[in-house]
Amino acid sequence: MTDVELAIENGERQLKTAITTIQGTFSYEDTAYHLPISYALTGIPVHDRMTSLDVLSRTKDNSLVASECILAKKTAQDGKEGSPYTGFIGDTIIRKLGYSLVDGSILGLALIVGSPPSAGAAAAICRELQEKYMLTFLAGPVIPTLSSAGVKLGLDYRLIPLGSNALYGVHFVDIIARVAMMFGGVTPGDINRLLTYATERAKAIVIVLPGLSDEEIALVDGMRVLGFPILSLGDYSKGAWISATPEDIVGIGMEQKGIRVNVTAIPIPMGCSPAFEGKSIRKEEMYAEFGGGRSPAFELLRMKNPGDIKDGQVTVIGPEIDSMHEGSANPLAIIIEVAGKTMKKDYEPVLERRIHNFVNYGEGSWHVAQRDIIWVRLSKEAVAKGVKIEHLGKLLASKFRMDFPQLLDAVSVTLITDKEKVLAAKTEAERVYDERDARIRGMRDGDVNTYYSCTLCQTFAPNHVCVITPERPALCGAISWLDGKIAYEISPAGANQPIEKGSIINAQNGEFEGINRFVRKASHGEVDRCSLYSVMEHPMTCCGCFECIALMLPEVNGIMVVNREFVGLTPSGMSFSTLAGTIGGGAQTPGFAGISKGYILSDKFLQGEGGIERLVWMPAQLKEELKPRLVKKLAEQGRTDLFDKIADETKAATLKDLMVYLDDVKHPALTMKPLV
Amino acid sequence: MGFDVQFGWSGTITVVMLGATKTDGGTRRISYRIGGGKTLPFLEKTPDSSAPLIAFEICDDPQNWSPIVRNYCGDKANDCGEWAKSADSVYGADMVRLYLTSTRQRNFSDIASLGKTVDAVLSSTSLPLIIEGSNEPKIDSDVFLKCGEAGEGERMLLGTAEAGRYRSIAAAAMAYNHAVIAQSPIDVNLAKQLNILLKEIGVSRDHIVIDPYTGSLGYGFEYSYSAMERIRFSALKGDADLAMPIICSAIDSLTVKEVREAEPAIQDDIAVQWEFTTGLAAAAAGAEIICVRHPRTIPLLRKAFSNLKAGKVSDGGQ
Repeated sequence: MTDVELAIENGERQLKTAITTIQGTFSYEDTAYHLPISYALTGIPVHDRMTSLDVLSRTKDNSLVASECILAKKTAQDGKEGSPYTGFIGDTIIRKLGYSLVDGSILGLALIVGSPPSAGAAAAICRELQEKYMLTFLAGPVIPTLSSAGVKLGLDYRLIPLGSNALYGVHFVDIIARVAMMFGGVTPGDINRLLTYATERAKAIVIVLPGLSDEEIALVDGMRVLGFPILSLGDYSKGAWISATPEDIVGIGMEQKGIRVNVTAIPIPMGCSPAFEGKSIRKEEMYAEFGGGRSPAFELLRMKNPGDIKDGQVTVIGPEIDSMHEGSANPLAIIIEVAGKTMKKDYEPVLERRIHNFVNYGEGSWHVAQRDIIWVRLSKEAVAKGVKIEHLGKLLASKFRMDFPQLLDAVSVTLITDKEKVLAAKTEAERVYDERDARIRGMRDGDVNTYYSCTLCQTFAPNHVCVITPERPALCGAISWLDGKIAYEISPAGANQPIEKGSIINAQNGEFEGINRFVRKASHGEVDRCSLYSVMEHPMTCCGCFECIALMLPEVNGIMVVNREFVGLTPSGMSFSTLAGTIGGGAQTPGFAGISKGYILSDKFLQGEGGIERLVWMPAQLKEELKPRLVKKLAEQGRTDLFDKIADETKAATLKDLMVYLDDVKHPALTMKPLV
Repeated sequence: MGFDVQFGWSGTITVVMLGATKTDGGTRRISYRIGGGKTLPFLEKTPDSSAPLIAFEICDDPQNWSPIVRNYCGDKANDCGEWAKSADSVYGADMVRLYLTSTRQRNFSDIASLGKTVDAVLSSTSLPLIIEGSNEPKIDSDVFLKCGEAGEGERMLLGTAEAGRYRSIAAAAMAYNHAVIAQSPIDVNLAKQLNILLKEIGVSRDHIVIDPYTGSLGYGFEYSYSAMERIRFSALKGDADLAMPIICSAIDSLTVKEVREAEPAIQDDIAVQWEFTTGLAAAAAGAEIICVRHPRTIPLLRKAFSNLKAGKVSDGGQ
């Protein structure tokens, strides 16, 4: 065991002594960056003893700078080492390397120094790095060991032998310093910028094998300041190095630095593409089904700690597809566990909803609904091609990794087909669903200062801006406040942006100074004001995706709501589609608002017009759909009688009928403040 | 001139440099600085503000190029060096835009040939170049590396970055100091998003030119016009992520039905008029670079631009 802290102290002293003995001048060929590390850190071109000492004192005896000067002097004195060693690498090649890094054909850089415990272990580490699209630099005895084990070295193999001892590892840093200056806009001498670049953008890890001298340890440890994780194979104690085993050293290093390999192909015997999403599997095409009220089934996605799950692992508990009868209904639990540095518990339900899309991407798999009311089918055709339950898991594991590369580092899937075990796991799932519901349900617009925009529909409604609040989901009903928040975190340049609501202009209508400012900008100057809770004054713009339309009926001093599914004429004399054509396209139309179904159940609904008492008419089907929650809501407000006073097409199909009906039931809207 | 329109705008279009002369470390005889506008085109009160640049488009494999252009240009169309030379000295273009259409063959792998092609065009014209790389993500990395390398120091404009495919082109621009064309499908928000993505990867704003995607006249040009207008308004109102010069190439102009099915005797004239009218409208919407494929369109556009600048109504050069 080598004590790293002691070795660093000792090594730094030795380096400092060594640098004072430097004589003569020295420089590298084919570079415009002099001694790149010294130049990047101080802006001073080092070519002799005086400048070396100057730079060393300016960088407080930095071990990287000391090593760089010593190596440059040594190279000038002894000449470059012969094949296979590359020594200092010129700018032309670095430019190409930088290209591959920006381009993504190289995911990151690794440095391996020291003497491997065995050739096999070193070769395995290198193979893993190659498979994970890392470019690996080698310095020291590891190089002859690999060569003798028959491992091919060179740029083509992404294994670059820098030099015969670990000191040559300094070239790894001079390469990164040059990439920072060439690609990162780092000006020589701007230490802060360089350190930020190295820490945040340079995807570099360092693997330390046994047998380093004190000077070499000091050099390697100096790289920590650049934010590179230093991983060692156990032979070193103390210090800030991370110890690992040959099996997990690459994985830990890449995880530390957030370097992710993208999955490109999914190893399952059926096609997988959004093209298959709309295809349903009819009863006669189906081999087996799960859930849909015929058998217990549910899905659940949960976050775990990175160490607790193995990426890509798929487990099937219970019978596989080959022991299920054709046409049968079987129990199924889809349990997905995910981990990732930026993953948050709040994202769980949003990610869970993607199970629906992903299963439908499968050419022979089909999925509807969510949570514990899911319904999944596998087609005869797919099963004949060899598709098993296990492949659903592989599909899900791969798709989650592919679609959320920034968010997820590991995904594992468990599929349960054993009835008792499904039922047991379902209890836990139900508890999680309840917990989530409580979190959203409890949220009020007043609880937060930030709302989210949605401008996804500006492709066809150029000036439309949705403002999404906890109580007012997007008018399409598909994006809640939480979804908007998460979408923004996942894609900060995307269509959902945070809006600081700012000071209140009109509390009843829900008009805020910050929202107006945002809407003005996002609507390209077309819309100046936006009231969140009013249909009459400056209502939100409408794209065309609204679940429902709320509109005023001045004749009865009330507001009616019609949903997209309703095909008949409404008391306004117009059908949903006629109304939609009138108000869509991104316009603001006082008296009309596009809304989601969920918003009807909010306390803020029609607040600007005096609240839900204004609601005079809804299609029977919408009324029925909302009944359980709406009745409860009204009861809470002490308005139990209101539900039956709201007319539908069976009670009043025309405006005339509606006037009579409302009079009969003594609807509160009739006596409210005039709408217009 | 004669207009006096005040909009109260505060933004300025970022200046992008294209082409490097000897003093800038390149070999071009001229270098352009496009952008810099503070209002809509042809309204400037500064008489010396520049007219849009006209780029002539050529390719290294003309088999799918418009037969109208191939007939007009003759044998030159089979030698992109000669073609580029004519674009410069005969047709009078301001820039040459080279499409590496050879990369669009199935299983293309001769990356080295691209370097030679770019070299040939660089040596046969001293105008600044626009290079259009591959259409195939699998070879993007190699193709753009080669293009970037071949034109190192010449400050070329490289095309075309899209939202799902911009890394290689951004890398080539950063490694060899070129500018990039950022194309989005007729959508102001997607245009902005792509510019932000490019910025995040490290391409600076003064190295980006927006391609809003240009439909041909009668075939969706009004959508492009509207997108361009919105991009430009946002920019002038102060949105720096959209304040880049615009390039337009209505590549479908020569294949629209009216041109394709025109009487042979007047087909050439119809083609030119179609390209001219689309290009003129794009210039009116604010484009800084108008690309054309028919040599005869160039003088018409040039005359129209100078008439517009002089406050005269253009009649299409008739």
